[in-house]
Amino acid sequence: MNRFPRLLALLPLLVLPAFAAGAATPAHDLYLFGTLNSRGRVAGSRDTALNGLFRRAADGSFAHCGVNYPAMLAGSFDPRDVRVGYVAALSGVLSTTDGGQTWRIATGWDVTEPKGVCVDPSAPDTVYAALPDGVLVSADRGRTWARREHGLPARGKYTQVVTVDRTRAGRVLAGCETGIYLTEDGARSWRVVQPTRETVNDLQQSPHDPQLWLAATQSAGALVSRDGGRTWQALPGVPSARALYNVAFDPARPARIALASWTYGLLTSEDGGATWTERNAGLPASHQVWRTAIDPDDGRLYAAVESEALYLSGDFGRTWQNAGLPGSRIQSFAFVPKAQP
Amino acid sequence: MTFKPLALLMLTAAAALAQPSFEAPPPPTAPVADAGRRQADYFQRVDEVLNWRAARIDLKDPAKSLDMGAIAVLLTRNEHVDLCSQRVIALMKEPGTGPFWMFPTVCVAYAGRDRLSPEARSAIREAWRTARQLRGDTENHWVMYYASLYLMAELYPDEPAASWYSGKTSAENLAEARGFLLHWMDLTTTVGQGEYNPCHYIGEYAIPLLFLSTWSRDPEMRQRGHMMLDWLFAELANNTLNGVLRGPNSRADEGTAIERWNALTSYFCWLLFGNTPAPAGYGGWGVYFAPLAKNYQVPEVIYRLATDRPDDYVQRDRARTRRRWRYSDELSPAVYKTNYLRRDYAVGSTQGGLIDPIQTHAWDVTWAEPDPRGKHNTLFSLHPHSSPRAMQAYFSTYPEAMITAVTFEGKPSYDSPDKILGSSPFERIFQDLDTVVALYDIPPGERFPQVNGFFSKDLVNVTESPSGWIFAQGGNTYLAYRPLAPYHWIPYLHYAGGWAKEKLPVGGRLLVSPHLKNGTIVQAASAAEFPSFAAFQAAVTALPLQFSLEPVPTVRLTTLRGRQISFTHGQTPSVNGTPVDYAAWKLFEGPHLNAEVGGRRLTITHGRLERVLDFNTLTITDRVLPPAGR
Repeated sequence: MNRFPRLLALLPLLVLPAFAAGAATPAHDLYLFGTLNSRGRVAGSRDTALNGLFRRAADGSFAHCGVNYPAMLAGSFDPRDVRVGYVAALSGVLSTTDGGQTWRIATGWDVTEPKGVCVDPSAPDTVYAALPDGVLVSADRGRTWARREHGLPARGKYTQVVTVDRTRAGRVLAGCETGIYLTEDGARSWRVVQPTRETVNDLQQSPHDPQLWLAATQSAGALVSRDGGRTWQALPGVPSARALYNVAFDPARPARIALASWTYGLLTSEDGGATWTERNAGLPASHQVWRTAIDPDDGRLYAAVESEALYLSGDFGRTWQNAGLPGSRIQSFAFVPKAQP
Repeated sequence: MTFKPLALLMLTAAAALAQPSFEAPPPPTAPVADAGRRQADYFQRVDEVLNWRAARIDLKDPAKSLDMGAIAVLLTRNEHVDLCSQRVIALMKEPGTGPFWMFPTVCVAYAGRDRLSPEARSAIREAWRTARQLRGDTENHWVMYYASLYLMAELYPDEPAASWYSGKTSAENLAEARGFLLHWMDLTTTVGQGEYNPCHYIGEYAIPLLFLSTWSRDPEMRQRGHMMLDWLFAELANNTLNGVLRGPNSRADEGTAIERWNALTSYFCWLLFGNTPAPAGYGGWGVYFAPLAKNYQVPEVIYRLATDRPDDYVQRDRARTRRRWRYSDELSPAVYKTNYLRRDYAVGSTQGGLIDPIQTHAWDVTWAEPDPRGKHNTLFSLHPHSSPRAMQAYFSTYPEAMITAVTFEGKPSYDSPDKILGSSPFERIFQDLDTVVALYDIPPGERFPQVNGFFSKDLVNVTESPSGWIFAQGGNTYLAYRPLAPYHWIPYLHYAGGWAKEKLPVGGRLLVSPHLKNGTIVQAASAAEFPSFAAFQAAVTALPLQFSLEPVPTVRLTTLRGRQISFTHGQTPSVNGTPVDYAAWKLFEGPHLNAEVGGRRLTITHGRLERVLDFNTLTITDRVLPPAGR
């Protein structure tokens, strides 16, 4: 796959005021995976907007990276070399070795619509992908792939997310249609650790306590595990009648957590999940929050409101400012430690 | 993500100028016996398409009229090649993004490989390097995508990964494309097509297959392409009534569901069989088949399936549903199709249930019209189902967003209570000859708790009998429709096209029965079978009929053909006391098409003519069978 026209890569999409001249240089690069013209696009037509991967530049602006691809959903990067990355996209898992300037469709015809991808930080040659029909693993940086689904059900293995335990190679949690599944041997075998009636949409490991995990689900609310994902309990105070899309920990302040939901909007907790508050004042009336994220450098809270814009809060959801990207669907955020010179 | 061939719609909407086969009286439906005449007629129709498209080109304003289809036509005719080259260079500056861009570009790349200027050919090649191509998310997308990638990888072999949008070498692209194509052919010839009996979507299969059968360097792929075309067109021929595809379809649209002729299938029937008018603009995509059409001609046995119908026949087939990612014990459960074809009408159905959640047309009775253009020659009912759960079953999506997205992306009726398209998990259907029983057990809380029956503007003598039957006549067909619960009428309003925002009155009514436990019984007969319409009504009314709706809808009736049907929602139906054994159904079973499940082998028969398509040996075998009784 070839370089997207350099002119487009230089196009500033958004300038975040806090990153204007004089602000401290963040320690992380922020990548967004998103679509700017999510409605009504037609296969075969020429795209008139930029889609795919966007990176926050040093001045706080967002610049499009690489190929104009409207269906990039989530990405993961190699901690040894952040120019190496993987993206779950409509046509399969895409891989890059040059920071998103060029891409290869790393999977074949038999892989479609992966929903998530995750590099094992303890064994970065290994990459896991969440598929609508199971789990895929590469042990050679995406060159070859194999299904590893022993222990997953024959049906009910729609997998929305795979997340690797950062403390142990080959220990992975998968969010599936029928529950949360755990492997401790690099996906050679899986076991269900928490059955659910409908899909588990997100799984996140606390950056402060590796034993603490949170799950966002379609119809079981938010779930918490305090033993590394072996057992799970419902998180009180979180509504469960409608879907939760994702969960975000604040990497700097352990007590702060955020949940995104189409129906409930943005939910936050500032006491480690004991109590929750809707933080939708200042968001568009629909407050259909597709994704949330918390900046590890300054604690700012992001809410990507479906087909509206990206919103930003400096006070953890009490007030919001429109941060641009009008009409966008931001599929996911990725904060990646800046590459060392 | 939902795709739609926008170019098709634009072409269709704009196209009606000086198109002989669209404007002329309908062609005769009788078969042409002389092989030479058949071929000459076929070539004449091909030339009509090419001439029509060429005549619409404004050479002074190529930006408006010289699209890829027109360029392919000109290159085939070896006309205005320099202009084509210039236009290709311009078009390749803004390449598209997916299979609907890929296959037209392949068509031009091959048609112009010895004619386009080096600069134009380079422009095409460069577009395949720089413009990322989405593979799509469904069967027809993938066939177009991989047939296109296969042919381009053959056209540009031995090139490095950096020269392709995919980041893979020519050899890798070729291997991947071949892998999919063989997998798809294997699936189709063992358990059936997912997008079975496609209306507009037939072009998305036929055109790439014609490209493969013509242009592939690999003789195996050429043979496979040819055999799959035969397979596709044999099934089309067998399911048409005077060139009009009727009966169940995996994916249709509102227009095709009521005006059964108005589909791309009619282009192929006109072109291949000559027995129905061509649709406006040759259905849009038809232009891409025509440049290569003379490289393929249906064999006589398929031609006669379409045109020579001395006897009534029942055909039972299997297919498969669209992939179910969630909420199902099977990825693609079997679809069981029944079709009964007679001279004056045809009846077709599936067993019901969710098949494709948005676009399935599950059953109908369609009657023959001397001129099908503008005629809504069909009768059917459905439960208008709309649910996030159905969306999540078939699409890798969250529950909330998809319904809105679907209505934005070319399927505007999906979330409308008065829609006439789509399958429902709460509908069960059984057909025996020309009787259909559709039962509905709709749970409380369903978004649209009603059954819609489509009553065409072209029905006459619609009579609501005190017996509970509604009688009507369509063409030479008498129809009896029995709603099993109270109903009322509303005008039928119609989305005119996939992106239409407003509903239009196009005539006809909907019978709306707002009851959860429900059902429809339809019986049909030729007018010639009864001395009068009144006699037909009397015969139907006199038939034994028992039904109940609680706890689940149940029907026991004796049909006009004297067969006793018992059918309870959720249970196996029986005929004359014998349960229907769906598990024993073959892939194709009938007087004309026969294939075993898993067999990869289709036998096509008409009279003494036989063709066997055997994908195990990649052979086509033609035989003339001995006369009957010998």
